[in-house]
Amino acid sequence: MSYDVKTWVDVAAFVGAGLSMGLGAIGAGIGEGLTAARATLAISRNPEASGEIFKTMLVGQAIAETAGIFGLVIAMMLLFVKNPNPSFIMVAVFIGAGLCMGFGAIGSGVGGGFPAGEACTGIARQPAMTKRLNTTMLIGSSICQTPAIFALVTALILLFSDFSALPLCPTWAAVLGAGFACGIAAIGPGIGDGLVAGACCESVARQPSSATIATTTMLLGMAVTETTAIYGLLVSFILMFKTFPATDAIAPAMALLGAGLCMGIGAIGPGIGEGLTAYSAVGQVGKNQKNSAELVRVMLVGQAVSESTGIYSLVIALVLIFVV
Amino acid sequence: MEDLGKIHQLIVPCFGHDMVFNLEIIVMTWIVILGLICFGFLAARKKNMLPGPLQIAGELLITALFGLTGDALDEKLAKKYAPLICALFMFLVVCNWLGLIPHLEEPTKDLNTPLSLGIMGFFIAHYTGIKAKGLKRYLLDYCHPIFIMAPLNVIGELAKIVSISFRLFGNIMGGAIIILVVSHLTFSIILPPFLNAFFGIFVGTIQAFVFTMLTLVYISVQVN
Repeated sequence: MSYDVKTWVDVAAFVGAGLSMGLGAIGAGIGEGLTAARATLAISRNPEASGEIFKTMLVGQAIAETAGIFGLVIAMMLLFVKNPNPSFIMVAVFIGAGLCMGFGAIGSGVGGGFPAGEACTGIARQPAMTKRLNTTMLIGSSICQTPAIFALVTALILLFSDFSALPLCPTWAAVLGAGFACGIAAIGPGIGDGLVAGACCESVARQPSSATIATTTMLLGMAVTETTAIYGLLVSFILMFKTFPATDAIAPAMALLGAGLCMGIGAIGPGIGEGLTAYSAVGQVGKNQKNSAELVRVMLVGQAVSESTGIYSLVIALVLIFVV
Repeated sequence: MEDLGKIHQLIVPCFGHDMVFNLEIIVMTWIVILGLICFGFLAARKKNMLPGPLQIAGELLITALFGLTGDALDEKLAKKYAPLICALFMFLVVCNWLGLIPHLEEPTKDLNTPLSLGIMGFFIAHYTGIKAKGLKRYLLDYCHPIFIMAPLNVIGELAKIVSISFRLFGNIMGGAIIILVVSHLTFSIILPPFLNAFFGIFVGTIQAFVFTMLTLVYISVQVN
């Protein structure tokens, strides 16, 4: 039995769509469930604020679902946008785009749930701060979606760029590697960002006077937590836009695939670790405003150290791409 | 859709090498600079006890940014670096908002802009560090915890440039690509204005603030 190119491309589109939506559903489901759990707890603690809490829960869940909707969008594109002239490289492109968006949605989905849940708890604790808590939650959970947005961008570039002129052999690995690098690298920073934003909502509710300094620290902490996702984006850009010489050997192709996997998996741990650092720092800045400058400095130095393994992954990925 | 990731370039051959100018980005950057000069001129033209709207906007911005600088650095350094921080923030905010106007593009969408600003921040931070601590203690700080770790510490410092510039570039360019693709798919109906508001105003402002704060904090980490 032998199939023509078109069949293979269709098969890849179906597999990619399944991966994109299937993996993409994991994070948003967990995050939204977490929000709802915190909301029920909050309402039982302070039934008089139930209307506000219910509203905040729904808004928060809607934002946590964004990453899942990105997965749905990519899946729909893979299913319904048909390319008139299919070529073999598109098999790898479609699977890569699906994997990228699917993995990329996990972290941001889980992460988006934390600030929404903490905002619900905070409203029960401090109903006077409802407005400020809603704003903080909106900012926090929108920034949580950044890693998912990076994955979406990579998936869109993969889908809409023309790779058919490039040599098939190393390019298939480069394209798949780009998907892995950006997608898997988004998991850790997404969860870490969520932790930080949640800590900020809690801090605002406990210490309303510290709202400004807590928000500033949150923005800084989240930005640094996302660093490894940015390394993932960097590696996947290099893999997508660099032209690799044609070869029949399997080793160079595997080096590119390995670079993607190395950067992707290497970014998970630092992302969560940096998130934990910033989580603690944001909480303490609220309690101890006088020493906030010192706390922020220690947070940044600590995050830089916990990021070093992510930097080692980046170095190895670059060596795999440019040297091997 | 064809111009996804394409840049208009002027290539000038120069002694066997090609010098590449991204014309569009240069023009856009100048638009931003001229806009900011106009704003500064208009805001400071009629200084009055009863401030006009532009003067209020200027004063609010300057007060907030001077306050943030004062929190991070000591008094003498804060006075020295606050104008830099203000200029950086205002430049980046206007850059990121420029894409809202049709036919104009964000200069930060091109990696060269954030990268050069990141390198500038890096050199300023290290210059301040050497000046504050002296060359010997500055170099000894790299041998922490033991001297074998020095190369890795240097790589860690250089990775800061990569992360700070790619954070801004990735967010702004990612937003532009998403807006382009969604506009193409929905035939520019309903969705694009909301996306422009989210990626242009919201993400643009936050990323400009984050870039400025990180530059400031890198200086503060070097000093202390």
